[in-house]
Amino acid sequence: MSTQITLTSSDGVDVSVDRAVAERSVLIKNMLEDLGDSGEAIPIPNVSNRPFPCLGCVYYVRTSSPPSKSNGDDDDNRRKTTDIDEWDQKFMQVDQEMLFEIILAANYLDIKALLDVGCKTVANMIKGKSPEEIRKTFNIQNDFTPEEEDQIRRENEWAEE
Amino acid sequence: MSKRQREDADSGLPPTKRGRDAVISPLDPLSSLSDELLLHILSFLPISSLNVCQRLSRRFHALGGDSELWKRQYYSQWVRPRARRLANVTRSAPPPKTDYTPKVSTWLDHSHLAEEGKATNWKGQYRLRHNWSTGVCRVTEVELPQPPSPPVLVELCAGVVFTADTSHGLRAWGAKDPTSCLAEIPLSNQPKMATVRPTALAVSQLDNEQEIVVGFDDGRFNRYIFDIQTSRLGLQSAHVGFKDGAITAMALSSPYLLMVSQYKSLSLYNLRALSQESENAGEAKYPRKLASLNAANMVAPMTLSLRPSSLEIVATIVYSFFRIGCGWSLGIQELRFSKDGQQLESRLASTVDSQYGIVPLRGWSSSRIRRHSIGIEDIEGPSSAAPATPSIAHQQPPTSMSYSHPYLLTSHADNTLTMYLVVSDSRSLFVRGGQRLWGHTSSVSAVQVTNRGKAVSVSSRGDEIRIWELETAVRSLGSRRPLREENSIQVSPENKSQEDSGLGVAPRGLRRGVSDSGLATGAPRDLSLIHGCVGFDEERVLLLREKTVGTQLLECYDFT
Repeated sequence: MSTQITLTSSDGVDVSVDRAVAERSVLIKNMLEDLGDSGEAIPIPNVSNRPFPCLGCVYYVRTSSPPSKSNGDDDDNRRKTTDIDEWDQKFMQVDQEMLFEIILAANYLDIKALLDVGCKTVANMIKGKSPEEIRKTFNIQNDFTPEEEDQIRRENEWAEE
Repeated sequence: MSKRQREDADSGLPPTKRGRDAVISPLDPLSSLSDELLLHILSFLPISSLNVCQRLSRRFHALGGDSELWKRQYYSQWVRPRARRLANVTRSAPPPKTDYTPKVSTWLDHSHLAEEGKATNWKGQYRLRHNWSTGVCRVTEVELPQPPSPPVLVELCAGVVFTADTSHGLRAWGAKDPTSCLAEIPLSNQPKMATVRPTALAVSQLDNEQEIVVGFDDGRFNRYIFDIQTSRLGLQSAHVGFKDGAITAMALSSPYLLMVSQYKSLSLYNLRALSQESENAGEAKYPRKLASLNAANMVAPMTLSLRPSSLEIVATIVYSFFRIGCGWSLGIQELRFSKDGQQLESRLASTVDSQYGIVPLRGWSSSRIRRHSIGIEDIEGPSSAAPATPSIAHQQPPTSMSYSHPYLLTSHADNTLTMYLVVSDSRSLFVRGGQRLWGHTSSVSAVQVTNRGKAVSVSSRGDEIRIWELETAVRSLGSRRPLREENSIQVSPENKSQEDSGLGVAPRGLRRGVSDSGLATGAPRDLSLIHGCVGFDEERVLLLREKTVGTQLLECYDFT
């Protein structure tokens, strides 16, 4: 079994990675299992038309620590906190567009750890903000009528404390 | 190591990412994500942020209200801490784990939501729990005109309120909107019985209907059915229960009916056996009387409870009696019947031992009870030796009691509640530990408990309603630590502020004025003001209040 495999992103950039690293992506792991190890480059067409998200993902899994064993209860605890460790935080210091591309790529490649970090980063951008601030942050269109907005505000008042 | 250098080295691209900020796609980047990904993001948010997100746009309104999202929040907020707590208890408890059965079966109090196969609004459920835990609710008052005497009987069952009184008969009200009467039926269509007075009311939930039994002061009882779909009440049958006196208490758990008369006779009926027999017997419609017993020395207040299981029917009578040395105590008589009415067993237990702090042999190693009444704090001998004075001593009979296995609660005029845990298994019946519950700041006149350990108590003036979650109290029953943590919460209706109650609606202001000025005149007068906490269900608390002028007021506290 070779330890190095080659991934090809949609724009034709080849990256050579350790098989163990590549298998952190469930998608690639399944592909490898299905195809067997032919030594050929594995195409990853869907990720992006820019190389960074794809390479970023590879880079991420190569450098971040392997995921700890987790079970159902852990999953719940994991969600309780949006704390992101410093390294991940630095990794996510990219502009919004890139952040969302990383999330898409991580989702496509099925790299859970990276997806969580990306989503937590977005969640942290939402947390503690007013609706108006969030809309401004993400440029979200407010498609409510003023009456609707008022009603929804009243419906949801109970948890704001 | 800088990550950016590494990126650039890998990709060979100049670092132009900042530049792309200027380009804003028609669809914002967040909204371009799939629902699935957005939900993943939202799953990291606390509920306050979820509510904020719902205000962003229509799409976020739908996503932020996602049921699975809220289910997760519900579980992590309410179910898991509880499961963890119980797990701890079982672990720290001494070997006989089987002793802990009453709780294990009830901890999962969401099962009724998960099982029914219908879509549950988890956000609504979360909000409901949230409101219960903080005591936030809306109160609606319904005035019952023309003060009848005796007071109106009220029962709340699965969102329907039933009232019975002489002048209006049996009425059904929707608890969601208690101002409108859903159905009404006179208690008697025979003129000669026009003066009959209802003295007991019991309701039981069936599939699509509710069964109501009204007991009268002449020992008769009527069986009614309320159809939930059509909101119609119908008289099913009328029977003679006791020939000698009024029916004073009833417990109904369809198809079984347990009742006690003024003269302490006890009868157990199977109401369903009636319908089968009546097919053949034509006119003669009598429910099958399964058993009948007489009791000599039961003292009110008392409460009945009926627990049918697959094999047997457990009828429990809890009564109070005075015992020299330890004041008012509770006796528990448990009768086990087979399905055809054969009496299998009769067992007695009392709270006397618990009041002295004596631990039943099969109980936990210690059930130290918080000393209270006369301020005795110093008798802290070895727990095996019985103290000379009981730690729980009531010089006055309890103002009310409620038993829902395994919880037995009594309320007292000395601002406290007392909780006992009844253990009933195939071998024995005993009371494990007593616990005073503190929190009320005035005399408590009524209490109601469910088998899930949630209890509602009302002060005699009705101005203080507290909600109790007793599972934590149960835990401290077994440990040496007295109960210190706050385990009750006061109900605070959001649509009725303090100012309102002072000068708002006339009856409330009036009552408050009277009670404030007449504090010293004491209990008897106050006691007449609250007839009793008539019950609560998953969403509401119902209270019957008697105004000073004599009319009665039905108050519905809605937590949704």
